[in-house]
Amino acid sequence: MAANRYDAIVIGGGHNGLIAAAYLARAGRKVVVLERRERVGGAAVTEEIFPGFKFSMFSYVVSLLRPEIIRDLRLPEHGLQILPLESTLTPMENGDYFAAWADHDQTRRELLRHSALDAEAYDEYGRLMYHMAHAVKPILGMVPPDPASLRPRDLKGMLAVGNHFRSLGAEQFHAMFKLMTMSSADFLDEWFETDVLKATKSASGIIGTFLGPRSPGTAYVLLHHYMGELDGVFRAWGFQKGGTGGISEAIAASARSLGVAIRCGQTVQKVREKDGRVRGVVLENGDEIDANIVLTSLDPRRSFLELVDRKALPDEFVADISRFKFRGSSGKVNLALGALPDFTCMPGFGPHLRGAMSISPSMDYVERAYDDAKYGEFSKRPYMDIVIPSLIDPGMAPPGKHVMSVFVQYAPYNLNGGWTDAKREAFGDAVIGAIERFAPNIRSCIEHRQVLTPLDIERITGLSEGNIFQGELALHQLFFLRPAPGWARFRTPIRNYYQCGSGTHPGGGIMGASGRLGAMAVLEDHA
Amino acid sequence: MSRSVVVIGAGTNGLTAAQILATSGRQVIVLDQKQPADVDFDAGWVPPSVRAALNIQPEAEEQGSWLVMPMEGGRFELFADIARSAESIRRLSPRDASRWPEFCTRMRRLAGVLETLYQQNAPDVETTDPGELMHLALLGLRVRGLGRQTVIDLLRILPMPVAELLDEWFESELLKAAVGSTGVMDLCQGPRSAGTAFVMLHHHVGRPAGVFRPLRTSLRSTLSKRTNVEIRHDAAMHLEVAGERIRAVTLESGDTIETDCLVSSADPRRTMLDLLDPGWLDPEFMRAVHNIKMKGVAGTVTLALSCEAPFRQMSLAPSLTHIERAYDDVKYGRPSAQPWLELRNSGQKIEVQVQYLPQVPREGAWDEAGKRSLGNDVARRVVDAAPELKDAITGIRVMTPLDLDAHGGLTGGHRYQGDLTLDQILFMRPVAGWSRYRTPIGGLWLCGSGTHPGGGVAGASGLLAAREILRDAR
Repeated sequence: MAANRYDAIVIGGGHNGLIAAAYLARAGRKVVVLERRERVGGAAVTEEIFPGFKFSMFSYVVSLLRPEIIRDLRLPEHGLQILPLESTLTPMENGDYFAAWADHDQTRRELLRHSALDAEAYDEYGRLMYHMAHAVKPILGMVPPDPASLRPRDLKGMLAVGNHFRSLGAEQFHAMFKLMTMSSADFLDEWFETDVLKATKSASGIIGTFLGPRSPGTAYVLLHHYMGELDGVFRAWGFQKGGTGGISEAIAASARSLGVAIRCGQTVQKVREKDGRVRGVVLENGDEIDANIVLTSLDPRRSFLELVDRKALPDEFVADISRFKFRGSSGKVNLALGALPDFTCMPGFGPHLRGAMSISPSMDYVERAYDDAKYGEFSKRPYMDIVIPSLIDPGMAPPGKHVMSVFVQYAPYNLNGGWTDAKREAFGDAVIGAIERFAPNIRSCIEHRQVLTPLDIERITGLSEGNIFQGELALHQLFFLRPAPGWARFRTPIRNYYQCGSGTHPGGGIMGASGRLGAMAVLEDHA
Repeated sequence: MSRSVVVIGAGTNGLTAAQILATSGRQVIVLDQKQPADVDFDAGWVPPSVRAALNIQPEAEEQGSWLVMPMEGGRFELFADIARSAESIRRLSPRDASRWPEFCTRMRRLAGVLETLYQQNAPDVETTDPGELMHLALLGLRVRGLGRQTVIDLLRILPMPVAELLDEWFESELLKAAVGSTGVMDLCQGPRSAGTAFVMLHHHVGRPAGVFRPLRTSLRSTLSKRTNVEIRHDAAMHLEVAGERIRAVTLESGDTIETDCLVSSADPRRTMLDLLDPGWLDPEFMRAVHNIKMKGVAGTVTLALSCEAPFRQMSLAPSLTHIERAYDDVKYGRPSAQPWLELRNSGQKIEVQVQYLPQVPREGAWDEAGKRSLGNDVARRVVDAAPELKDAITGIRVMTPLDLDAHGGLTGGHRYQGDLTLDQILFMRPVAGWSRYRTPIGGLWLCGSGTHPGGGVAGASGLLAAREILRDAR
């Protein structure tokens, strides 16, 4: 049936799947995107969870989206509109606070209040991270070479990576090496003395990992999250107007305008394969769709251990994918508020509420949060990143009311005894209790609350173990090891079956690079 | 050159450097800074290159089990013989026993790569020199020649947490603790911290497949008997510099020795920041030296015995989770409530390495009472594990990381003059850009374990430093 035959099928309508589809359509291919849920977006969705209250249900801020994708797919024309997130307030246990503002001088004055040395170091640190982010940028857009291969293409690739880093010059090369190997705590110790400053900065080194800020490898994640500050004039982290789902809608609109068919409510059950070549997919309802090319934007576990017959894959590859670590460690609490929270350290409803509020009062606090998770409990006093999008985008909540998004770490997927409804509520209570210590009126503000554990994230979005990055951003799961050695080039052991999810290089965040690179791999093989 | 070379420190590296320099015709004075008696910091592998240069015979492999651990209803033992260990492991888990041989082979191959790297200067990855580039390329080819699996293992395993690596292979907690504990030896990290798999491999160098404990060496005592260098029992107090070159060293006794070549086996921080007047160094360099991580977290409790202990080495940690919890305490400045103890038979005494101990406890202090209670606690745990020693303990001596700093000349109480983490090895050791034993001061060299390849590889830093010095003189 002609209607069921395409040049390429993309499994999963998250941002990466949509981006891959759009790029293929742009190159003239007839493409269909199959999304299991009734809406596109995956973990980048806006949902009206409570009447009148709209939430960026999972992913809530954006900054990493690659500028070339924004340009190529003309996303602003299709509705991409980022509203800036201008400040970060970190309340401290002693009632004081640390605040970073959009205004550089204001931040400097704030730093001087804590430490003159840190105020000096801050600008230099900012410059270094800016350079580091720039230095990593070409790597993000690169197909990882296979270091164990002697094919000319791989050798050339390795040489290119080597020369790229060597070309940075000694100082930056050393800093880069340190970022790749150190813990965020140690890295920040080299720069700053103010504990709260280090704590709030180190927190971005643990997001999506199952490591504490004192474990090596977290400095890299710190950098990963710093990359967002690249392309904006200042502080490129921001909200999409209408919530994160708006980004997915914009990409979907762009894809549709390029001719992509997007089918929601279509669950792929199997990828059909014959003689080592992909043939199409079978849907849960029994329908078959034919295509000579299939791309999966799902995580590696689903893509290979569930959608494909294992017998079609080499044993070694199956073993590698089986040991790929997910271990979701973060949860999300979405609150519908009747009034705004009042922080003890900065009373009133000033501009600080329009930015992020980071509950990371000290290094020990963040580390202790990890200690709980290490032994299978959710953090009694978790690290939290809080935003109130309705202050910037009033359409998100009914007049006079607000939505508050609380990103929480750590909540281990493998909780001792497993997640139950009671444990979910206990987790929600711990989150509210931890906020209450800094904003005592929070309980009285709450009209509704939604608590999402990693298990909920897995159930709703399909992300294995609720890992927001489709696999931990650990050093041994990056670049040519993501998702498995020898298979980091977006190809798979099955011919014409491609990967384009964030379980591939360069990994998570609403970055889109994996989607684009996956599509590029297809176009390279099928010119 | 008429003036003598002065070597600071009479440890394995200082003595090795002194020997090499003396053999090539230099007058050498070694300053013996009085290491604390009874504590041997020189356990480790003596690479063939060092043996050859010093003309020293390999030490005999010890016989019997290399590790004993108490387990329910008896003792768990591991042997150099892989099949024999597998038999022993079978009591814990038949699945683990079947995996043991391959695990040993794979780890041995990786340690072999490290052995190659440790017997030569750290690769200079920033070089533009054709010779160095060729060297790098050859190194790459050599590693590549070990096969695809080894290349991938190397890249994948080195940055892993040792606990995760072992989880991939084994199910027995006791076995994982036996093998994995060396991944955090003398390191302020827990087994779930990334990069600890590398540390485990680092301590595997020079050992046969299936043996995951460093060998002890008598290299230091052998070298200290040689008479071709002058050993002076005095300590360096101050280095004098003129025109950015070393000029003289002032000693504790008040003497001054003029020299244009001073080789320090003291740690980089002590050498560059304590012995030199500040102001000679570029602030960036000083900051880098200051930032070298050397958080000593291990103490030593020596138990004097009336008889010999019935084992060679015993490890008291039932699981890696036990060690991880022990680490949690030290993160917040507390000694581990349930420490990891590593017991080494040393004739009529046992040396117990205790981990983790903070250098300065956040509450309380390492006063006499604190040390006594630590010593008694350790003795009690040892007797619990080895009841036959119940009435055999005749004395207890406690060295905390603070003691190692104060009396042992080890800054931070760290045995290896700097953590062996991925950001502090190879071309990053002691600090980035200065991995070839030179310092910004002409004629002042570093040769201690704070330099490549670092602690646990006896004499290698001393040998490589001496070779650089001789090359420079040519």
